[in-house]
Amino acid sequence: MKNAVLEVDAVSKDYGGFRALSRVSLTIDDGEFIALVGPSGCGKTSLLKILAGFEFPTEGRVRIQDRDMAGISPAERPTRMVFQKLALFPHKTVEENIRFPLRIEGVPEDEQIRRVRTMFEMMHLKPEYRHRYPARLSGGEQQRVALARALVSYPRVLLLDEPMSALDAKLKKSLQAELKRIHREVGTTFVLVTHDLEEAMMLADRICVMVAGKIEQIGLPSEIYRTPATRFVAGFIGETNFLPVSVKAEGDGAVIAPLCGRGDPTKLAAGQIAPTIGGERADLLIRPEDVRIAAEAPTSGGWHVEGELTEKFTKGSSTQYRLRVSGLDRDFIAESTGFDTGHIEIGQKVIACFDRACFYVVEGAS
Amino acid sequence: MLRLQNRIIDWALVGGTLAFILFLYVPILTLVLFSFADSRVLTFPIEGMTLHWYAQLFQNPNFYNALKSSLILALITMILSTILGTGSALAWMRLNFPFKRALQALSFLPILFPQLLLGVMMLLWFSVLRNFIAVPMGMITLVIGHVIYATPFVLVVVSVQVHGFDAAIEDAARDAGASEWQVLTRITLPILRPAIVAGMILAFLLSWGNFYLSYSLNGSSQTLPIFIFSGIAVGSSPIYPAIATLNFLAALVLVVIAEKMRRKATRRLAGTES
Amino acid sequence: MSTPGNNRRHWELWISVLPFALLLVLFLIGPMVLTPLLTFQETKLYQLRWTWSFDTWSTVLSNPTYSAVLLRTVWTALLSTIVCVVVAYPVAYALNTRLAAWSNQVQILIIFAFLTDAVLKTFGWVLFLDVHGVGNWLLQKLGFGPGATNILFTPKAAMLGIVYNLAPYPIFTIYLSLARIDPDLKHAAYDAGASKLRTFLQITLPLSLPGAIAGALLVFVLSLGTFLESKVLGGGTKPLASELIRQTFETRVNWPLGAALTFSLVLVALAALLGLVMIGSRLRIGAAGRETS
Repeated sequence: MKNAVLEVDAVSKDYGGFRALSRVSLTIDDGEFIALVGPSGCGKTSLLKILAGFEFPTEGRVRIQDRDMAGISPAERPTRMVFQKLALFPHKTVEENIRFPLRIEGVPEDEQIRRVRTMFEMMHLKPEYRHRYPARLSGGEQQRVALARALVSYPRVLLLDEPMSALDAKLKKSLQAELKRIHREVGTTFVLVTHDLEEAMMLADRICVMVAGKIEQIGLPSEIYRTPATRFVAGFIGETNFLPVSVKAEGDGAVIAPLCGRGDPTKLAAGQIAPTIGGERADLLIRPEDVRIAAEAPTSGGWHVEGELTEKFTKGSSTQYRLRVSGLDRDFIAESTGFDTGHIEIGQKVIACFDRACFYVVEGAS
Repeated sequence: MLRLQNRIIDWALVGGTLAFILFLYVPILTLVLFSFADSRVLTFPIEGMTLHWYAQLFQNPNFYNALKSSLILALITMILSTILGTGSALAWMRLNFPFKRALQALSFLPILFPQLLLGVMMLLWFSVLRNFIAVPMGMITLVIGHVIYATPFVLVVVSVQVHGFDAAIEDAARDAGASEWQVLTRITLPILRPAIVAGMILAFLLSWGNFYLSYSLNGSSQTLPIFIFSGIAVGSSPIYPAIATLNFLAALVLVVIAEKMRRKATRRLAGTES
Repeated sequence: MSTPGNNRRHWELWISVLPFALLLVLFLIGPMVLTPLLTFQETKLYQLRWTWSFDTWSTVLSNPTYSAVLLRTVWTALLSTIVCVVVAYPVAYALNTRLAAWSNQVQILIIFAFLTDAVLKTFGWVLFLDVHGVGNWLLQKLGFGPGATNILFTPKAAMLGIVYNLAPYPIFTIYLSLARIDPDLKHAAYDAGASKLRTFLQITLPLSLPGAIAGALLVFVLSLGTFLESKVLGGGTKPLASELIRQTFETRVNWPLGAALTFSLVLVALAALLGLVMIGSRLRIGAAGRETS
């Protein structure tokens, strides 16, 4: 059975005249790993600071473990925070950094030592680092110390403010895996703020996409990817194709027909249509990996576009083809696994086919 | 050809800098030399070496009084300027308040202003003030003048360090349950300590060597620079080079400590940002 | 995170900023307001009398002695400023380039000399420049005629003292503005084929101008208030304004006159400081323009 550990109820936040959050509501379950994702300025960091108690909402309430957090300071909340720039105490050793919350709390000495040792083991920190100053550790090690300092007092909710944004790609990958493992081991609720949807998909059980101070969609990673609530969510990850189509409501679904490229009109179920669609035009969302490059158009009315190959990139595990299609203002992108076999030349006419099974429509570009 | 030209420029720069350093130390070395000269008149070449003038210096009661005044004044100035300067540096960095920019400009005025004029204007102020409250010219007025002059320097030194100090570090301590007092005493002040100590030493030296402000504000009490000035105005004596030599030795120790602290501070800052 | 304006937990910082602010208002603003007011009063029998009149100002403006002293003071300050900046620039430049590795040590040497009691250092120069001093002895040994350093108790010696005491200021301001220049700007100029000299003239010099100007104005303003050098080294035959002010207070006990002379000098200093602010903002806009273009 799932218990809500944290409830955000119609929270708004104004800074002067600027509305950073606008009636945001969100329930987070105990032990869950949730990611708040969005472009910079979307309000995700403001929301995190409100959860931590560094800022207070202009309107609305936050409840943690059924307790109203109005006027409760960060120290008194069962939350701990991992800061964007880590905020390790530069004048304290690694061990002193990790012990700091326990000392403040007045935890008995032997218990402090035991817990610090547990943290060292969990974070895979070498014991000889105990008496080093943070400045002498690598970026990844500093990250682990910051995590240890936040987790050592056994918070119910761990808040992470883009803790990996400053790391290089390779280190980031390995720390993401570590974070997942640590979450599994401690079982505490993790709330991660990130602008990287891919990172969120890797780590989180649920993702909350925010835009302009509002929640755009909350859902499982697969839902965010396959059935995005809005065009914005659809386009937030990687590169995506949008193909204009006409929409005609039919029963609880709709029939779509291509306005660019070819294909027989197709009936979509209600679940294949974003809730934001109104009117007769929409965009068909086609992920590059769902596109197949072919030499000839499919018979039997299968959906496809025809275009001229403008560029191809080898990405190692896959190859990306970019097509100029008349009627589309952006390149149409196809991605197939493996190396390019070299049978298509740049400038050649090619056909890009896509399967009806993964059709999903979002509102057209405004 | 170009290469040769570049080398000449390089060596001219190095030579010029060395010449400048030499220039800075000409009067200092001259004084040290004469403090050991075995002659009542300060002429060169000197005839012999002696420690006689140091002995005579310590038998001079006026010197003792001036030394005592200077020491008390410099210590009080150091303590007050450090507290006020550190407080202001923290407030400027962390707070927004009305007239903040005006206050900042005002705070730096004492550095940018001719000290003599500052002293004279304060002297006038105290003299008029005397009609309402009794402010005896002397230690109190000296302290006020010196604190106003030295605090901006402390402020600058501490501000530089506050500037490179991520405010999230304080939030991390609050998040870990620390009270405001604990944040201040366990996190903020210890991190700023090197800069605060450097600022303290600077304030001490600025007060210790100050002439222009003291000249207007001293009333009847004599500080060391005033004692020396009134002495050399009458006629030179080898006890002044002896004072100078002792002074340099003490200042040397303080400057070395201050520099060590400053470097420690920059190292720490570099560490947290890597 | 601790957003400015979040005063709930910052009340203790208010306590820390108020005492100094109060001190400044009481003992800096107060004197600055009082001084011009005093110029309209008069002293009789060593007592200040609050009678509003322009007598003092008409004396100051009509008596050529005062304007001559003021002019001489400004002239001396200007000359010292030029010499200081010319001396300081190469040193600051060397500390940023050829001597960068030694910059810390050199800076300590400069700071140490700088923080040493000015009265003592000035006296040291007297001993050095004396006809029977070290300097003359050295020069005679090197084959110069007797009295080669015979400048003691002349305005030249006073100028030497002023430059000596104030040159470290522009060294630090110029050093800081040189250090702030992105080295890649220089590299880009070399890359484009510019010679070292050209790079210096077109890149380094203009970008370090703010530091040079700040240092120059600092020297100018501070040298307005010197009298130690002119009295001890210059022999006091051609007094500067500060000396005159001291005399007016000490021997003639003429407060309004002293205040008027002080205020005149303060006006010159404030005008220079205002100029600094204006040039500073203009240069900043110029520098920003350069960066974007």
